[in-house]
Amino acid sequence: MTDTSNKNPVVSVAPSPHVFSMEMTVPVMMRDVLIALVPVVATAIYFFRWYALRQLIICVLFCLAAEVVFTRMRRRSLSLGDLSAVVTGVILGLSLPATAPWYVGVISAVVAVGIGKIVFGGLGMNIFNPAMVGRAFVMIAFAGSMAASGYIDATSGIDMLSQATPLSAFKQFGTAVPLSSLLWGTTNGSLGETSALACLLGGIYLCVRRVAAWQIPAGILATVTVVGAVANLVNLHSQWTVVHHLLGGALLLGAFFIATDPVTSPVTAAGKWIFGIGIGALVMLLRLFSGYPEGVMFAVLLMNALTPLINRWTIPRPFGGV
Amino acid sequence: MADQPTPFERFIQGILPENPVYRQLLGLCSTLAVTNGLKPALTMAGAVMFVLFSANVIISLIRNLLKPHLRIVVFTLTIAAFVTIVDRFLAAYMYQMSKALGPYIPLIIVNCIIICRCEVCASRQSVLTAAADAVGQSIGFGLALCSIAVVREILGTGMLAGFRVLPASWPSWTIMVLPPGAFLTFGLLLGLVNWIDAVRSRKKL
Amino acid sequence: MEQQQPDRRMRLRSGFKNSNLAQAWLVLLLALVFGSALAAVQVNLGHVIEANKVNETLEKIPELVFGADAARKLKQRQVPIEITPGTIAVEKDGRKAYYKLFRVTRDGTPAGWVIKARGQGYADVIELLIGLDDRAQTITGIFVLEQKETPGLGNNIGTARWRSQFVAKSTDRPLVVVKGGAKRPDAIDAVTGATISSRSVTRIVNRTIEDLRGRLIPAKIEFSERHG
Repeated sequence: MTDTSNKNPVVSVAPSPHVFSMEMTVPVMMRDVLIALVPVVATAIYFFRWYALRQLIICVLFCLAAEVVFTRMRRRSLSLGDLSAVVTGVILGLSLPATAPWYVGVISAVVAVGIGKIVFGGLGMNIFNPAMVGRAFVMIAFAGSMAASGYIDATSGIDMLSQATPLSAFKQFGTAVPLSSLLWGTTNGSLGETSALACLLGGIYLCVRRVAAWQIPAGILATVTVVGAVANLVNLHSQWTVVHHLLGGALLLGAFFIATDPVTSPVTAAGKWIFGIGIGALVMLLRLFSGYPEGVMFAVLLMNALTPLINRWTIPRPFGGV
Repeated sequence: MADQPTPFERFIQGILPENPVYRQLLGLCSTLAVTNGLKPALTMAGAVMFVLFSANVIISLIRNLLKPHLRIVVFTLTIAAFVTIVDRFLAAYMYQMSKALGPYIPLIIVNCIIICRCEVCASRQSVLTAAADAVGQSIGFGLALCSIAVVREILGTGMLAGFRVLPASWPSWTIMVLPPGAFLTFGLLLGLVNWIDAVRSRKKL
Repeated sequence: MEQQQPDRRMRLRSGFKNSNLAQAWLVLLLALVFGSALAAVQVNLGHVIEANKVNETLEKIPELVFGADAARKLKQRQVPIEITPGTIAVEKDGRKAYYKLFRVTRDGTPAGWVIKARGQGYADVIELLIGLDDRAQTITGIFVLEQKETPGLGNNIGTARWRSQFVAKSTDRPLVVVKGGAKRPDAIDAVTGATISSRSVTRIVNRTIEDLRGRLIPAKIEFSERHG
């Protein structure tokens, strides 16, 4: 009897992130996320050169500044040490295109930390992923400069190459980018989304370290595969295959780094599956049927809003409990 | 009758201390919907002032004839009549503005500010008090609309009432003239008003 | 006996007091007064509002045919421009469409056509005025009469700068929407961030031209009274 009740402990739902191991403090988790982001940041800087560096520095700097200013306003103790603002800044920077002007980075960083996090009460209390709140704001405010339109070809040395992102190129002209460039990242897009390989590398590290719950990316990728396969079967001549859907756009960056934010995703394993499947379905819905070429950001934000509800649905019942 | 409010008191109270938008949080539908520019905000404020003033005066005049269980019918009837008049006038003499405001002028009928003032003030006070109350509340409503509209229009388009106030290189924050901008601006300004209030009351202590 | 009399009167009075008429007389009276007031407003303003609606279209017509500058000059020199409204019924692929159009003559010689056309936009129906030259070979201008596209993005289809792209385009081939700078002669550059709205407008223009190809002959059109 005592054995079974130990296996099914009562889960009390409190604001996350939750401590499930003594070594897993918030700064340690955040440090792990930063380590996992190294390959993504490295490829971004390799392909986009100083554009990437500039964007990342602006985002991180202003996220930190916003954190200081807003916590001061609320008369709370400074929370810079938990590194969460740095992570928000790096992810935000990676989700912006290289050519976005400086004020886009500044405004999105301030909105991300100010409106996305501190207004709700700081880390652990926010409903929406702060980086995505910031990105959504500038996405709607400056739609023109958010369309990625320039990257530096690291191999040929051609400086600025104006081209559409793979997803919008496909949406407009129906042409698909070769899979190899999606894998390595020799294509255009937001800083962190171009190289599928780098995202996978960092993502797997996160899952192995148990900082990110593997159920969420698994749910997202499985759903995208299924829906993409159905879409492929319906339209056999489309050049944009399931593999393009998986490797292209911000899917991998979103699945491993953005959706897995412990604060804004469900706490239970079943909840995480529901969350991941929901994001995958919404991404495909937006990609296939909406006016936007990519839907990862909106999908994550929508599912963030559902997270409290999913938590409520999936609280495991204690053994013998009603 | 010593504790009855004076007309001047009602007038002053409506502007800031009992501001319909920032203090009573009434009439928020039109507050959020028409504040993407200063011109529509001013037009809306003017229309509300006309309707509120007329309704308050008429209700106050007939306040002794009102039957308690039919008073809401009378309020609604009066308000709807004046709203229709405003709507027709705008369509006749400010055609473009009337098109831009669309359904929000007819929707003044369900604006809580007006029915609230009829119920709370006009159906109990003298004509003069009711009229002063209407003017005060309308000015408060207008100020609130303008404060939101100024922020949204300048940030969203770099212009104010159609005139350019920021250089043409200003990157327009499109989101500010869209519905999310209304919610964000209103929330932040409401926070600011509360903060100023808190600071002032702390100084008094 | 004496006491019954006031009793009955009391009952009568209270019966009247509780009747619907006594309860609602104020509401009925107010409804009557406000109703007459509104009728008076409508009688006085109704024709002004109708005129506003007609004028909005009529005012735009000269500049859609002659161009803004030329239209202003013609007005200054008081050259008589006649605008004759009419309708045309088009049957194509089993569907029937009616177009409202205006024939424009200058000093009695035919100058061009303005056609009212509508179609689905991103948010709601978009209504356009399309100006064509006398032989319907080139577009002389377009104007957006009605639209509810996203403010700041889609509603830029109404700006003079974007609309000017349509001027002098040939009606031989359908126009195409491109992003990031139109280079071909039949290309329209999309509004930044509002490709769907841009496509909708272009599609309405293309469809209207296709529907009316070879049909803009005065004999085929039902004209109503002309505006001077």
